[in-house]
This record gives sequence, C-alpha cells and structure tokens, in this order.
Amino acid sequence: MMERLRRSLVRIGAMAAKETIHVRRDPRTLALALVMPVALLFLFGYGVSTDLDHLPVAVADRDGTDASRALARELGASGEIDVVARKAPEEVEALFRKGFAVGALVIPEGYATDLAAGRRTTLQLLVDGADSVVANQVMNKADGIVRAVSRGLAGVEASRMAAPIEVRVWTLYNPTGRSALYMVPGLTALLLAITAVMLTALAIAGEWERGSMEQLFATPVGRLEIILGKLLPYLVLGFLALLLVLAFGMVAFDLPARGNLLVVFLLGVVFLAGMLGQGLLISVVTKNQLVATQAGALSAMLPSVILSGMVFPLDNMPLLLRLISRVVPARYLVEGLRGVLLKGNGLDVLWPDLLAMAIFTTAILALATARFQRRLA
Amino acid sequence: VKGPSPRLQIAAVFRKEVRQTLRDRRIMFMLIVAPMLQTVLFGFAVDFDVDRVPTEVVDLDRSVESREHVRRLLADGTLLAGERRGSPGEAGRDIDAGRAAAAVVLPPGLGADLGAGRPATVQVVLDGTDPNRAQQVSAAVSRYFGEEGERLARERFRAAGRPEPGQIALVPRVAYNPRLKTAPYMVPGIAAMLLVIVTTLVTAMGLSRERENGTMEQVLVTPIQPVWLLLGKLLPFLAIGLVDMAVLLAAGTWIFDVPIRGNLLVGLAGVVLYVFSTLGTGLFISTVSQTQQQAFLGGFLFMLPAILLSGIMTPIRAMPGWLQAVTYLNPLRHFAEVMRGVLLRGAGIGDLWFQLAALAVLGGGVMALAATRFRTQLG
Repeated sequence: MMERLRRSLVRIGAMAAKETIHVRRDPRTLALALVMPVALLFLFGYGVSTDLDHLPVAVADRDGTDASRALARELGASGEIDVVARKAPEEVEALFRKGFAVGALVIPEGYATDLAAGRRTTLQLLVDGADSVVANQVMNKADGIVRAVSRGLAGVEASRMAAPIEVRVWTLYNPTGRSALYMVPGLTALLLAITAVMLTALAIAGEWERGSMEQLFATPVGRLEIILGKLLPYLVLGFLALLLVLAFGMVAFDLPARGNLLVVFLLGVVFLAGMLGQGLLISVVTKNQLVATQAGALSAMLPSVILSGMVFPLDNMPLLLRLISRVVPARYLVEGLRGVLLKGNGLDVLWPDLLAMAIFTTAILALATARFQRRLA
Repeated sequence: VKGPSPRLQIAAVFRKEVRQTLRDRRIMFMLIVAPMLQTVLFGFAVDFDVDRVPTEVVDLDRSVESREHVRRLLADGTLLAGERRGSPGEAGRDIDAGRAAAAVVLPPGLGADLGAGRPATVQVVLDGTDPNRAQQVSAAVSRYFGEEGERLARERFRAAGRPEPGQIALVPRVAYNPRLKTAPYMVPGIAAMLLVIVTTLVTAMGLSRERENGTMEQVLVTPIQPVWLLLGKLLPFLAIGLVDMAVLLAAGTWIFDVPIRGNLLVGLAGVVLYVFSTLGTGLFISTVSQTQQQAFLGGFLFMLPAILLSGIMTPIRAMPGWLQAVTYLNPLRHFAEVMRGVLLRGAGIGDLWFQLAALAVLGGGVMALAATRFRTQLG
C-alpha cells in the first residue's frame, strides 16, 4: 500500500517536473501569470473607484446678496464640491447634458431678508439623477454643508439655548472610506480567476492539440496522476501571483492585513485549485486551445465581475441571481479576503466561505477527472 | 488591366462573409443571443441602491422617547432593524462577523437629557468596507438626528420667547431618473460593453483564422483590392452591431424602463462611429497576431481594461487625473457618454459633438494604422 502510494507520488512528481520545465521555457505563460495580474491591479486599483470629490455643481444665485454669495463660497470650501458656474436655473439642464455639472444649487430671491427675519428659506438642489451613485453623493454632501450653515446661523445664542443631538459616526475597517480598500480584494479574486482558468486551458488543451497527450497515455501514469502533476506547477504559479498581487496592493494602496495572512493563503490555494479545475474541465471537454481559452476567459470573467460582490452589492440582487452567486467561488474569496484583510476575521467567522470553496474545488476536480478519459477520440 | 468595380468587389466579399457567418451556429449564438442574455443578467444584477441595510439598535435608554426615535429613524427604509442588542460590544461582534452592517447606539438618559435641554450624543458604528454604503448610512442617521436637534432647538427658542434664527432647508429635485434607479443608467453602458466583445473579438479572430488557414492568400490571387476586401469583411459586422443595438435598446426599454429622450439619429451616428473604432481595433489586433489564440488573448487584454476603465461601472470622475486623461483614448468611454446622453438626458448633437468627434478620430486613427499593416503584410 505504502509502496503504491510512493510510486504514485513519484509519477506525480515527474509530471510536475515536466510541466515546470514547460512553464519555465515559455515566457508567454510566465507573463500571463505574473505580469498581467499586477499590471491590471495597478490600473484597476486606481481606476475602479467610487471616491468622488470635487463634484462640479453650478450655482444659480437669484438673490445676489452678500449672504447668498457666502453660501456659495461655503459650498465650495470643503473641496468635496466645486462651484463650476453661476447660471440661471433654465440653463442648468444644458450643463447636465454636456456633463459639465452634476448638480445645481438654486438660491431663491429674498434669501438674505428671510434669514435676517428669522424665517425659513428653501433652497433647491437640482441633481442629474442619471448616475445614481453620483447623484446620492451630491445630495448627501450638499445637504451636510447647508445643514452646517443653517446651524451656524443660530450662532452663540443657540449653543447656549439648544439641546443639539450630536451624531458620532465611528466607521470600522475603512475609516477614510477609500474605494481601493474595498475594490482590491475583489480585483484580486477576478485576476486570479482569469489567470488560473486561462493557464490550465492553455496547458491542457495544448497537449490535446499537439497530440502529446497520446504520449502521456502511453506511460504508466494514471489519469488522476496526470491531472495532479499538471495542476501542481500552476498552483504554485497562481500562488506566486496571489503573493505578488497582495504585496502590490499593500504597497500601492495601503491595503491592511488585520487578520492572519495564513488564512488568506489557505483561502487562496483552495480557490486557485478550484479555478484550475474549472480550466481543466473546460479543456478536457473542448480539447481545443482556442475554444478553451474563450470559454475559460468568459466563464471566469463574467461571473467573477458580476456575481462576486466585487463591485455590485449582492444584497440588492434578485433572489435567483443571489442563488446563482452561491456557486461562484469568487464570491467566497472576495468575502474571505475582505474579512481577513480589512476586518481581521479568522476562520471562526470565515469557515463557511472556506467550506463552500472546498466543495466547489472537490466537485469540479472530480468532474474533470471523470471526463478525462485515458483514450483518444 | 481594369478589374471589376469597387462596388462589385465589396458586394462579393460581403456576400461571402454573411454566408459564412450565418452558417456558423456558434458565432451566431455569440453575436445575437449572448448579448441579449448578458443585458438582462446585468440589468438585474447591477443595483447600487442603498436600502434595507441590516442595522442593530442598541437602546440603552429604553424610554418612550428613545423608542420613538428608533421608530422614526427606521421609517425611511434605508436601515432595516436587525437584532436588538443589549450592549455596543455585542453589536460590534455582529458587525465583525458580517451579521449586521451598522449599529446605532442610543445613550442612557437620552430622553431625559433632551427633555431637560442637555446635549446628547448618539453613536453610529459602521462597517466601512463598502464606502458607498457606509456613506449613505451615515448620511441617513445624521440627517434624521440633525433635523430632530434643530426642531428641539427651535422649540426651546419659542418657549423662552426669543426670536428664532433663520433656517435653511435643502430640497433636492432629481432630473432624468427621479427614483435613482441603477438599471436605466447601466443598460446603455452594457450595450457599449457587449458591442466591443462582439465586434473587436470576432474581427480579430476571424481575420487571424483566415491567415492560419491560408485562405487569405487565396483571396489575394483574385482581382479584389485589399481596401475593398477589408471593407467587404467589416461591413457585415457593422450590420450585426446595429442589429444588436436595436435588440438591446428594445430589451432595455421594455424590461428596464430605459427612456429614449433624445434623437436616436445622434445615437445611430454614435453606434456607427463606435463600431468603426472597435472593428479597427479588432483588425489591428489581427495584424499583430500570428494565431487565433494570440488574437483572442490580445483582444481580451484590450477589452478587460477598456471595460473596467470606461466609466460604465464606476464614475470616471473618481479616477486619478492621469488615468482620466488616458480614458480619452478609450472608445467605450465616449460611446457610453453618447448613449447615456441621448437616452437619459435628451442630449443632442450640440452637447455630444466632442464625444462623436473623439470616436471618429480614434476610429480613423486605428483603422488607418491597421489597414496600413494589413496591406504591407499581404503585399
């Protein structure tokens, strides 16, 4: 028994050694595995973001007094909003259509006199609602600024008299609200998924195409041994990519590592094995490099972008899509990476994610092995 | 020797390409059915609305007033009441484990303090991993208690018989998309994304396949000029792009209430110029690849950044300045702006001339580059 296992391990080792030589001699594979993820993370870490400041807002000042001008100055003072133009309200829509402004504050006539008389005055904020994310931010930011100005009106008088309620917001994990910290774990999962699936799709379908799979069948190596031996070097390569991407995220985007990095590595290896298995299954079924690369890239990219919770919140999706997202392994890696890196979670919280990925990986490897027949045609 | 007329040459190639494409079921699926499915999938999946955020309330006061505040705070639907916890520590552990996204802590004696005119502090603990959600929750809580504080302050002024200070209220009026739904904004962007997949990838791979199979050389011995050959090959894809666009627009209007406020002719000009540029890119990729596989990889490595850095999913304004400058070279950016402008904002040619001109310049540039390479390779 032990002897059989030892021999099997030797055969797997031989397969892995052969595959490693392939990889080391092919600069394209190495570039695809190590350079592409880091280059793309660099671009996307900066580019895929919802951190908005200097939002362009026009001011339509119908009052034209010192008080109304002071309000307009106050609006632009924080840097969150830039006052881009002073316009009549009728001209505002033209600014929206050209994309020159995303909001417009209308200060009514009589603004200064109303305030002096202690009356309530109503400002209108016209918002370009086409992009709801931007629209919400403009409304929240303008609301905060105007509220502060309104409180300031009461002045010293009020601070003595009133009973203000202070709201103290304590934001955990990402106190400065930087998108990069939210996005980088998601991007890591996406880039790993694409890399791993494409690598195996190329490596295994290539053997079918070149006819060298026949030669492997002529050796005493079993099918599970072929699969494990072939996947092992790519698992190492994928793991290197994970390390590179994480290191890059920490250096370039100040990604913290609040939890145990060993948990990240564990999640990463199980995820990578699953993605390699997916690529393997695709290439076993298609036996054609071209079709395998296409199917691999699309089947890894689309679900990892849409259904992983990387950019689009899963909670908001209809039930059917949420159910489908349960079989997308990237979803669990995104959750796991955010949990460990940002929140400092350990396996006590993240074991369901690990378990889900382990089930996916086992199932897909079993399926690929079953489809991997040791015969031709 | 005078060959056949250009019209005849183009028509011959066009007919051959259409026949070949129509016969390949897999390609037809990729061209027509896949874009439809993806539009519907994306349209339903993409929703940035922040509402029903699971929130735990830690009411340490347990007075009539504090319960009233909780009820009114939760009334607008942004926050969804989760478990009631007895201490901030328990709520914090729930946030750590992802069971709640926010906790509102009302201090002991809140009701009595406010009644007696003493200041009080409400604490909000937020899971900040998703900055968009965190900001919305914080804004909702601050808005509610800000208004309450102001109301109480005014009551005290009145009770003391002093003149009240003025007050400024901000009333938002949202144009184009009053309910701030995500789908009407996303669907035109998704169209840009799917068109680039269909046109760039299919051209790049189709032309590389001809090179791999050696059929390109066979065409060369015919009297067809390279220019007309190219035109005849690309025109069917322009037709497919237009058909796809019409299908997507119909699906978007019916399923996701995408409005059509502007002139569709401006949109059509956008589609033609955009497809011109994406086809040019596909052609260019095919001239720098030896095999179909390289063409696919090249196309993929162009598309992934082009899609993610187009402003379709996240706003261009949120990018750093240098990257914003780079996105001017991205045809997806300009096309998404044209479609969103025409459909949602009713923008016309006067508003969108820059985007259209940019598409024309980018398309013309890449097409000229690709055609030159194509010619020298064949010649």
